[in-house]
Amino acid sequence: MKEIRLSWLIFLRIYLRSFLLQASWNFDKLQNLGFFYLILPGLRHIYGEQIPVDVRQRHCDYFNTHPYFAPLVAGTTLRLETLSISGEEPAVDAETYKNMVMAPLAAMGDALFWGGIRPLAALIGLLIASQGSLWAPLVFLVLFNLPHLLFRGIGLVLGYVQELRAIETIQKCRLPDLAIRLKESTTVLIGVLCAYLAFKGCEHQELSAIWGFVQLPIVLLFAWLAHKGVTSLFLVLLTTSSLLLLALLF
Amino acid sequence: MVVGDYLLAGLVAMLTGLDRVALVQIMISRPLVAAPLTGWVLGNPMVGMEVGMLLELLWLGRLPVGAAIPPDDTQVAVGATVLAVSMGHLLDLNGMPLVILSVLIAIPLGKFGQVFDRLARHVNDRLAVSGHNALMTGSIDSFERYHLFGLASFALASLATAVIIVLLGSFVLYFVAPLFIGAVREAGLSLQYSLILVGAASLLGTINVNRSISLFCAAFTGTMLVLWLR
Repeated sequence: MKEIRLSWLIFLRIYLRSFLLQASWNFDKLQNLGFFYLILPGLRHIYGEQIPVDVRQRHCDYFNTHPYFAPLVAGTTLRLETLSISGEEPAVDAETYKNMVMAPLAAMGDALFWGGIRPLAALIGLLIASQGSLWAPLVFLVLFNLPHLLFRGIGLVLGYVQELRAIETIQKCRLPDLAIRLKESTTVLIGVLCAYLAFKGCEHQELSAIWGFVQLPIVLLFAWLAHKGVTSLFLVLLTTSSLLLLALLF
Repeated sequence: MVVGDYLLAGLVAMLTGLDRVALVQIMISRPLVAAPLTGWVLGNPMVGMEVGMLLELLWLGRLPVGAAIPPDDTQVAVGATVLAVSMGHLLDLNGMPLVILSVLIAIPLGKFGQVFDRLARHVNDRLAVSGHNALMTGSIDSFERYHLFGLASFALASLATAVIIVLLGSFVLYFVAPLFIGAVREAGLSLQYSLILVGAASLLGTINVNRSISLFCAAFTGTMLVLWLR
């Protein structure tokens, strides 16, 4: 039997639907409805309007991955469905594949996008904002969304074209290593931002810049407290109450 | 501020709130974007930018992983901007001290965001059951509707958080501002910078990368020396 191919229009519809993956996020099965909603145009193309009950059942079960990686999983899942309907026996069926990859991809996506790209883009935006420029939000959005939007699109096509080999391709990209490099760059930028603010503070108070170095152990102490689980809210209250008390006393 | 301004701010609260989890996720929900956007619709983007700068780093290290719900920094940013603009008119105050006071009052009220977010997800638990049942009976259109109804829960949760921050915040700010505005003005720039530094420290403490302390210290010292000696 000839393999069914998805058209570019269907890819586009799946790509746009990926922005609604988490619309009905719930505690019970997390992104289950969202994933079925995402692959629905593809399933309709493969099975027609009467999607078999077992297909509906297996793609509406528990699902949770990073939202930007979901199109990659969707692409491969749809390809595996087309292979199985055309009589070929893929090495892994669609349901097993989903269950195998969703957690590792979630961890990879969290580290890369939430832990790597987002803080770095935010710090660059903040450094621009500290100059009083209103371009800062736009710069942040562009820096974050260029890789984000590309990743969704490329992931979908890659998943469909390469099916199970897409995971190998992702592994070859060494995304966890990239995430670590981005985090290291973020750490450097935190240092630059703190030093800039410390210097500006000294300049404003007409103090020698050497006093700016006093900020270094304070920031390190607060970082250690945050690392130990002290909340940002507590640190804010501690800092502001101390500064307000000093202002009231002197 | 007129009623139309509050409605516009409510619309921004819902749109940016949806961006946190449910819709698109292009990060217009980050304080650095949400606050200037709110300020812009209220006619004062610079106030929004100042709010966004103070709040951006505070909870950036808290990742929205799995079922974890980080504090709602989006609605804190939107609410603090509305507070700073509206109370500025009412109390005839302006400038950074009012922005700082608005942010300090809005930050603890952001806890309501976590409560409403959790509630929205519980509402979605029921939607998920209904959606699943609709799918199993072959009613695909109903399934799609149930899925998209989830957006309403998240939008309402965001709006409710913003409304609480603005209402409670206005009440508190009305009484607190005259008492503390002098001290805040006195502490001024130190307070402004210290809030950003607390955010930076929180991010540094949660960034979870080897050599982070050495990298931070090297970057800090290097930048200070360059600025000092130039």
